[in-house]
Amino acid sequence: MRFDPAALRPFRTGAIVLLGLLGAGIALRPLEAPAWTEVRAKQPALRLDSLKDALGQGVTVGLLGGFRAIVADLFWIRTNALWEKYDLPGTQTSIKLVTAIDPRPLYFWLNGSRMIAYDMPNWRIDKAGGYDVVPDAAKRRFDEEQSSIAIKFLEGALGFHPENPLLVLEIGNIHLNRLKDVETASRYYLRASRHPDAPYYAARIYAELLRRLDRKRDAYDFLKSLHPTLPKNDEMAQARVVLDRIRELEGELSIPEDARYRE
Amino acid sequence: MSVASVPFSFGRLGLIAGNTFLEAVRQKLFNFLLLLAVGLVASAQFFREFNFGSSELKFIADFGFGALIFFGSALTIATTAQLFFSEIENRTALTLLAKPLWRAEFVFGKFLGVFAVIGVFCALTIGLMIALLWHREGQLMVINPDDFANGRLIAYGDLLIVGLLQWLKFGVLTAIVLLIASFSNTNLFTVVTGFFVLVICHLQYLARDQWSNVDNVLLAGTVRVLSLVFPNFQLFNLADEIGQGAGVSGEVALRVAGYGVAYIAVIGGLAVYSFRNREI
Repeated sequence: MRFDPAALRPFRTGAIVLLGLLGAGIALRPLEAPAWTEVRAKQPALRLDSLKDALGQGVTVGLLGGFRAIVADLFWIRTNALWEKYDLPGTQTSIKLVTAIDPRPLYFWLNGSRMIAYDMPNWRIDKAGGYDVVPDAAKRRFDEEQSSIAIKFLEGALGFHPENPLLVLEIGNIHLNRLKDVETASRYYLRASRHPDAPYYAARIYAELLRRLDRKRDAYDFLKSLHPTLPKNDEMAQARVVLDRIRELEGELSIPEDARYRE
Repeated sequence: MSVASVPFSFGRLGLIAGNTFLEAVRQKLFNFLLLLAVGLVASAQFFREFNFGSSELKFIADFGFGALIFFGSALTIATTAQLFFSEIENRTALTLLAKPLWRAEFVFGKFLGVFAVIGVFCALTIGLMIALLWHREGQLMVINPDDFANGRLIAYGDLLIVGLLQWLKFGVLTAIVLLIASFSNTNLFTVVTGFFVLVICHLQYLARDQWSNVDNVLLAGTVRVLSLVFPNFQLFNLADEIGQGAGVSGEVALRVAGYGVAYIAVIGGLAVYSFRNREI
């Protein structure tokens, strides 16, 4: 049998095409790389750790097709349906899936963490026999476990929305309301209050937490430095309330008249 | 008269492109997908009640680009494969290529015809989306004037830039499908492979991410080569940046456009080379 060199032609063509594509890929890297770095920095949803939870859930086509928002919204409806049935593993998985599909909206992160931290401990207590039957130690354990999951979830959110004050406040809220850890909560409130977009109440609550920790002098100093920064005509800033609290603390700390804060 | 005896002609290329364009717009598939995309974009305002996460206008823009990308990709792959193979199956390619016609004129003529059709599709979809956003934003400005103290929130120029980049991406996809069709024997194989390549091109950046974490040198090398062979389609997806921060960066848009045009030229050239080696 004689060897026909023409039989190799398709392989030669294929090899040249592949080499051409590889060469183009290498040659165009300097053009692509800077643009890709910038595109990626602005699109947290493009991370592998975000997508790996979403891929394989039957939503790939939706994600590739650009229907990220609508797919996430539909999965959020499913999350709420599972939540109504007190389906703890289902709800928890679905919350993570929604934020994996579309990590951009804070709404999903905040409400998802609230379901995990505030609702799920109650479901677990109900499942274990109810409030009258379950010992306090077990209730506390449920709170701690769910809070820990919610805090980890919110810390994940901070990876997509660095130092977002609402997310930091939400972590502080869990420490305060579920874990009753005022000390840790106060640190989160302080951290949130330092952000330029932080709501005014973050700083006010931080000062209140200092009072609850019996650090009245620190609270007084903090409020004194806060008050001049508050706009007088913005109702949300509550400059009057802050001044009232300064006066209360001056009374409690017995600050002499001449050393008191002046507007 | 042989092909070698006639110079490359943009006139002949234009004739093939025009013919391809007319053939494509007469297709039911084009009209059907166009109608679906336009219907979906127009219905975005009825879906806004579903909107939990993002702002209403952002949701409409996301929804519109979703329709553009999804149906645009389907249209690009199906139309390119169908128009290429209709020439082969109807034997018109034989008649055409028996004449003094360069295969490059044939392939790039097909490319330009499909690219023009996709251009019409993108222009209609983006135009409708802009009209819808403009109308709704106007309504919201009346309802919540405080939210629009600094004027309109949506940068409509950015919408056009992103639409243009999507069109270029479809151009790269058209070139890829033509490359596959240049050696493939069936329409079905071309369409299925085209869809697989589309998915790979969208996800190839993940392979690069993984490559940086792989210890096995052979595997790392293979993944790296594969990530260089396929163009990065996710680069064209600047729609997320609309209405956020400084919006779409002009420099990035230019780089992405350059990347798209370069890939169209390279892959188109490779499709011509592969088609020249094909027995018809």
